[in-house]
Amino acid sequence: MSEIILEGRGVTRTFGDLQAVWEVDFQVKRGEILGFIGPNGAGKTTLLHMINNTRPPLTRGEIFFKGQRIDHLKPYQIAELGVSRTFQIVKPFPGMTALENVSIGALFGKDKIRNAHWAREKTRSILAKVNLSQRENVPVENLNISEIKRLELARALAMDPELLLLDEVMAGLNPAEIELIMELIIQLNREGRTIVVIEHVMKAIMGISQRIMVMHHGEKIAVGTPEEIRNDESVISAYLGERYAKMRGSDA
Amino acid sequence: MKRKIIILGLLLLLFVSVPFALSGFWVRLITYILMFSILASALNIISGFTGYAAFGNMVFFGLGAYTTAVLMSKGGFSFFPALLLSAAVAVVTAVLLGMLLLRLKGHYFALGTLGAAEAVKHIIENLTELTEGGQGITVPPLRGSPAVVNGFFYFFMLLLLIAILVVAWRISKNRLGYAFKAIRANEQAAGVMGINTTRYKIIAWSLSAVFTGITGSVYAYWFSYIDPPTVFDVMWVVKMFVMILIGGAGTVFGPVIGAFILETISELVWSRFINLHLGILGMIIIMVVMFMPNGLISLVTTGRGFRDIIKNLRRSTESRL
Amino acid sequence: MLLQSIVNGILFGAVYATIGIGFSLVWGVMNIINVAHGSFIMIGAYLSYTFYIAFGLDPFLSIPLNMAILFAMGYLIQKFVLNRVVRGSVFITLTFTFGLQILIANICLLIWSADYHSIKLSYSGAGITIGSIVIPLVRLGIFIAALVLTGLFYLFMRRTKIGIAINATALNFEGAKTVGIDVGNIYAITFGVSAALAGAAGALISPIMSVNPFLGGPLVGKAFVIAILGGLGSTIGALAGGMVLGLVETVGTVFMPSSFQELIGFLVLVLVLVFRPQGLLGKKFYE
Repeated sequence: MSEIILEGRGVTRTFGDLQAVWEVDFQVKRGEILGFIGPNGAGKTTLLHMINNTRPPLTRGEIFFKGQRIDHLKPYQIAELGVSRTFQIVKPFPGMTALENVSIGALFGKDKIRNAHWAREKTRSILAKVNLSQRENVPVENLNISEIKRLELARALAMDPELLLLDEVMAGLNPAEIELIMELIIQLNREGRTIVVIEHVMKAIMGISQRIMVMHHGEKIAVGTPEEIRNDESVISAYLGERYAKMRGSDA
Repeated sequence: MKRKIIILGLLLLLFVSVPFALSGFWVRLITYILMFSILASALNIISGFTGYAAFGNMVFFGLGAYTTAVLMSKGGFSFFPALLLSAAVAVVTAVLLGMLLLRLKGHYFALGTLGAAEAVKHIIENLTELTEGGQGITVPPLRGSPAVVNGFFYFFMLLLLIAILVVAWRISKNRLGYAFKAIRANEQAAGVMGINTTRYKIIAWSLSAVFTGITGSVYAYWFSYIDPPTVFDVMWVVKMFVMILIGGAGTVFGPVIGAFILETISELVWSRFINLHLGILGMIIIMVVMFMPNGLISLVTTGRGFRDIIKNLRRSTESRL
Repeated sequence: MLLQSIVNGILFGAVYATIGIGFSLVWGVMNIINVAHGSFIMIGAYLSYTFYIAFGLDPFLSIPLNMAILFAMGYLIQKFVLNRVVRGSVFITLTFTFGLQILIANICLLIWSADYHSIKLSYSGAGITIGSIVIPLVRLGIFIAALVLTGLFYLFMRRTKIGIAINATALNFEGAKTVGIDVGNIYAITFGVSAALAGAAGALISPIMSVNPFLGGPLVGKAFVIAILGGLGSTIGALAGGMVLGLVETVGTVFMPSSFQELIGFLVLVLVLVFRPQGLLGKKFYE
């Protein structure tokens, strides 16, 4: 089993003159939590789109999952290989309940459970994990933001992924809810899942990630441990800036 | 659950007794309504469940009708083999058209299918040696007394309807149904969650096509004469959409309920006000779309009593801008 | 013979542009495919016919009358009826306009009967001859009127406040609301303008086509092709699309029987939809 589960080489995506993602090389180690930060517009979400090919085509470059090239595959094929993700702008299936939404992940994700009944049982256990059991029969339009975020996570989980891509799953949540998600992520990681987390909640991401990758203006500008990143000059000037310098002072 | 089964059983009994209890006129009328119920249910699979508005769905009806007509009148085939071949033609067409058109979304898909249906209609009109072109083709009819003939087609349609209802019911509960509904709800998210959307869309359309094609085949045998404008008539599809809207899109029995309601009204109007027929149908269509886009059921179930129905009517007509 | 066909195609192409631009506008701004657009054209043609029979009014002069009447009709329909379903799904809006179309066809049937009516103008035989090409005066007049209408529409959309508001609403619905545009009113005006253009188109075709309540269908079919070819909401696109359609039809009859023509038309349509849905010119609105 190789140590690198996801790898990108020279990954580039342009929209006309706009270089959304430019010549990015990256590696994700199996079993790690990789934090992925950068100012808005840095290209983080675009890179995620490229990993599971939701906005083709790739302009240039290659992406490998467990050694297999995936940049030409359809999204559903990538999902079947064991990659699942959440969306920054949440996309639950309208007109269906929470239970039904998550069931779809179980039915069509990596395990492709055939039996609708068994899928529902698996779904229930996942809903319990994200604390949504009491809301399982509620139509998703009636869920609040915290519940929807957890629903997104549950849907991705139901697919039993080896690699989980989380796009700003903590955005819009209060500190207690953020704590909950952080614990969840750590627990999922202990189960053996590799997790890439895009976030802006600095304290959270610094706290749970083993390594952090930083993007700015479409390019990768740094990668390393949270400590290394905190002290990296280019990162500080590009992104963290003065505000973080103040935070460092108040950090325990 | 038990109550539902009893009601369905009673309804079935009622329907089975029709040819024995009512006159030929009524038997034929109800057969016609059953036919529309099947067609609307078939359309519901690709449109109501999966969200692809196939305005060209009559292409399968027409192809089914013409395949049977040509095979029986020119090829000396008997009905059942012709029926099977018609079904095969419908499925193959659905797969081929599907690969071409199912990548389109919204209006583009709707009108793409309509364009394809019109193209097929014109092809059939032009293959005059085979199909007798625009003047229509006659099919050797079923021999027998009127009562027997009426009964045969009545029960055939009834069986087809039961078959498609069973299919629709199973779909609404199983994995296939989940895929269809997910595609309708958010196709991109569905793909990301592992659903091979192209494959499932083609399956949905093929199911729709096979039932539509078989119905077309039976129609040809039943009416004994078909011509291109009738069996490729786009107004039929519009009516089917209205039936689906009345009964509730994506439900199992909705299209059937809608078919019975619309055709009954149609029949009442047609016999009294022939020259207002189209206009009234147009008005009905407009009313249904405006006041009950979620089906008759939604008007009635969200609240109790007359006052709530009026409130629902008023709410549904508020400008949604 | 070929040259004459080409000239005929161009002459008629301008009329096609007027037929197509109203339809394309409504589709582009409100995402509604107005199947009743053909019926609006028929109403225009019937109105011109009636004015001619009752008052001896030349169809060209009936254009402003038709436009006023149909604008009012379209505005009211959108304001009180269509605005309620406009944000609905494809099959709701499309089914709705189908219903509207047959309602209008029935009304026309009741008022004017199913007989074919036509207008015979006193000058319909006269024409200009250039070399071997004959340009009938009526067709020339129609061509010029159509170009003028198209030009006026273009200016309306680009230079007037309302036109710009329509563009804004089309390009960014939520944004338009935020800057205080009354989108319900804009939609009503848009539909009214579309109907007015249809009414004008009806006046233009009344001297050269026999009118019948059921010609709405084929007409909207042509409008659809023009909209697809030209790109939604684009005036120049509609002109180009109209010309292409006009030329293909007239030049096509030289080479093949008309039944094949329609077939080729549909096949081309399907292919364009699949492979180049943004239209031949690939433009939308902002020409």
